[in-house]
Amino acid sequence: MAVKIVTDSLGDIPSEVAGELGITVIPINVLFGTESYRDGVDLTTDQFYHKLMHSKTFPTTIVPPLDMFVDIYNKLAEETDEIAVITNSHKLSAAYEAALQAKELMKRKCRVEVVDSLWAVMAQGLIVIAAAKAADAGASLDEVVALAHFNIPRVDVRMVLDTLEYLKRGGRIGKAQAFLGSVLKVSPVLGLRDGEVFPFARERSRAKAIDYLYNFAASFSHIDEMAVEHATTPDEADELTERLSSKFPKERIYRSKVSPVIGAHVGPRVLGVAVLGDK
Amino acid sequence: MGQADSITGQDLREMFAAATDWLEKSAADIDALNVFPVPDGDTGTNMLLTMRSSMEEAYQASEGSASSVAQAMSRGALMGARGNSGVILSQIWKGLAQGLAQKESFTGSELAAALLQASTVAYKGLSNPVEGTILTVIREAASAAQAHASNVSDDVVSVMEATVGAAKESVANTPSLLPVLMEAGVVDAGGQGLYTILEGALHYLKGEVEQLKLRRPWMIASSVPLIAKVPQMVGAEEVPYGYCTNFVIKGQRLNPDKLRKRLEKRGQSVIVVGDNSAVRVHIHTLDPGDIMSYVIPLGTLHQINIRNMDEQYRDFLEMRRERMPAVDIAIVAVVAGEGLSNVFTSLGATAIVHGGQTMNPSTKDLLQAVDSVVSEKVIILPNNKNIVLTANQVQSLTTKTIEVVPAKTIPQGVAALLAFDYEADLETNTQNMNRAKSAVKSIEITRAIRSTRLGGLDIKKKQAIGFLDGDLVAVGDKTDAVLNEVLARVDLDSAEVITIYHGADTKPAEAEQVGVTIRQQHPQLQVEVVPGGQPHYNYIVSVE
Repeated sequence: MAVKIVTDSLGDIPSEVAGELGITVIPINVLFGTESYRDGVDLTTDQFYHKLMHSKTFPTTIVPPLDMFVDIYNKLAEETDEIAVITNSHKLSAAYEAALQAKELMKRKCRVEVVDSLWAVMAQGLIVIAAAKAADAGASLDEVVALAHFNIPRVDVRMVLDTLEYLKRGGRIGKAQAFLGSVLKVSPVLGLRDGEVFPFARERSRAKAIDYLYNFAASFSHIDEMAVEHATTPDEADELTERLSSKFPKERIYRSKVSPVIGAHVGPRVLGVAVLGDK
Repeated sequence: MGQADSITGQDLREMFAAATDWLEKSAADIDALNVFPVPDGDTGTNMLLTMRSSMEEAYQASEGSASSVAQAMSRGALMGARGNSGVILSQIWKGLAQGLAQKESFTGSELAAALLQASTVAYKGLSNPVEGTILTVIREAASAAQAHASNVSDDVVSVMEATVGAAKESVANTPSLLPVLMEAGVVDAGGQGLYTILEGALHYLKGEVEQLKLRRPWMIASSVPLIAKVPQMVGAEEVPYGYCTNFVIKGQRLNPDKLRKRLEKRGQSVIVVGDNSAVRVHIHTLDPGDIMSYVIPLGTLHQINIRNMDEQYRDFLEMRRERMPAVDIAIVAVVAGEGLSNVFTSLGATAIVHGGQTMNPSTKDLLQAVDSVVSEKVIILPNNKNIVLTANQVQSLTTKTIEVVPAKTIPQGVAALLAFDYEADLETNTQNMNRAKSAVKSIEITRAIRSTRLGGLDIKKKQAIGFLDGDLVAVGDKTDAVLNEVLARVDLDSAEVITIYHGADTKPAEAEQVGVTIRQQHPQLQVEVVPGGQPHYNYIVSVE
């Protein structure tokens, strides 16, 4: 019986990829006041960011109730006796905690291993995808978990933001606080370090910031997996993917959209690159 | 709970028990917010211990009325209060209990009235109430509760929602009221603690049990941007702060007001609260023995807790260092003009040496700045070709490791500073900054101080002259016209960003107009007009 892979929606794995690789994605949604919002279901992406930009209330993150985790474990346990759960960084949401607690509550007898990826967005996504591919190829649960741990330090991500305003509003600014308060207009380039938001660079224009993304991805000496993601700027993502195709086969570059939870914290015009490989 | 017309004593107890659990989840984060000069040990932990003591007493209350539960909470808080914020919290519960006196249960408007009383009592306990602290938060939250109850709805949950919303805004605003918070880039820890308690109570009232269990309280981000100045803060390490001294006096005919007045002369951050049988004292003093000897004749002393604030401060600094990117490299920049100084500090320069054209700082000025920063590695940005050599001399006068990134203009300096990488080492940073500085073109417009002939141009005294990367290329009567002439020599079609810093002698309106003209001619450019306030130079322009 193949190991089943579970992750959460902060990993931004495109649904068709999840379907193909048999990855179960637990949705983490945002709540505007009392309205829950599921990406592409309740509102279009554009409507969501319009609301984000114009609403006074900041959306809150809803980690699904424990029951949902338990139900998913129980359901998967009908088909397998080994489940690997790879969550986003415990410093960003309560998903890891919930995934662990749910393990104690499940009824069926089944081995569940929970891994804190210490990442989010496609950095988390690429770790999960690699794990799913290994599971597909017949790896055992221990092997899948070992691979995830092996890949955690091998993945990295950079994102260009238009403003730090949303991160500040959401209270998740972390060390990028050092970038606040610039008198000049800058495009911040952020990433994650040790599971937290980290400031990497400030560029004077968006074009330069996108150059930074390209150079970041191009600096890897060996690339296993690559992903380009955006929120509201598909054309920029296309262009960047095109440029990156000189470094990595274009058809293997995953294209994905930033989940609303992350989008609420980084703002509408976010553009990012994640790479799994060796520097 | 969900919808509720009124809250019973049991609800009151349960909601604050839930709030205590909620607070526990972020106590460590709140501890990390602590900032000198109101060192209060660990604010989050102190408030949590105070709440625990409060709730223990509440569970022992014989009756179930709201009034008696509130009174028990108040009593428990007074006896268990820790630290500055714990004591103020105990006063908030005391006021709340007064406001709820004789009440079996309470409605939204009664809650609002009790919160107002809580605010009043909290202010009274302090000899010198400081705004931008937990006091401001309870006051603003209470008045929002009052406004909501009288204008919108008496529903207890919606009043509590308004209270929590106002508390959140109030916390975010604390740095604009209290400069030390602004400097440290944090919100007030006590305020955050109170907000978290109220928020936990609200979650309970709304029946959000899952949220209480699974989510964590959010730390409110300061509404004021942080200007990172970590190295300077560390520099203040040597000042002695004395001892944070806490105890309870039990006796008869105690007079808290009189005691407060007496103690004010013997220390700082004095808080004295209680009644004629038990008084809690919090004071910062250089000599705790002196305080003890003074109060011992008044009664018996309990829960004596004396902590060395220097140690607390060191712990605090350690925590701050963990929260910010580890910067062990300082940047000293030579800049003239307030606007330009703001540009450099806002981008992370650690120290500014005032100077520039015709005001070249001496090696000693630069050395002083290098010595003033705590970092052992310092990068100097001279930002003027006449200062590069002076900057190069500094290394021979200090044991610190100095790198000079020879920026010859302000635009080069800004570009170099922006390339600074918090992660990289000195060598990499120096390389990156050197590369970045070479990628910009600098235009400077000033007025000739004498008539001359230079670069094939006849120049009369006081005429406007324009330099492109240090070469004189244009002359004319009007500064804006000369600027346009120099800009015409640059390939603006391949440029992306133009930044115009206008000097002290230039009218902002004229500078704006220059910006508008460039935008019209080159709509693809990002044009920014920034007041630089620099002397002598009407315009300094960077083209990237």
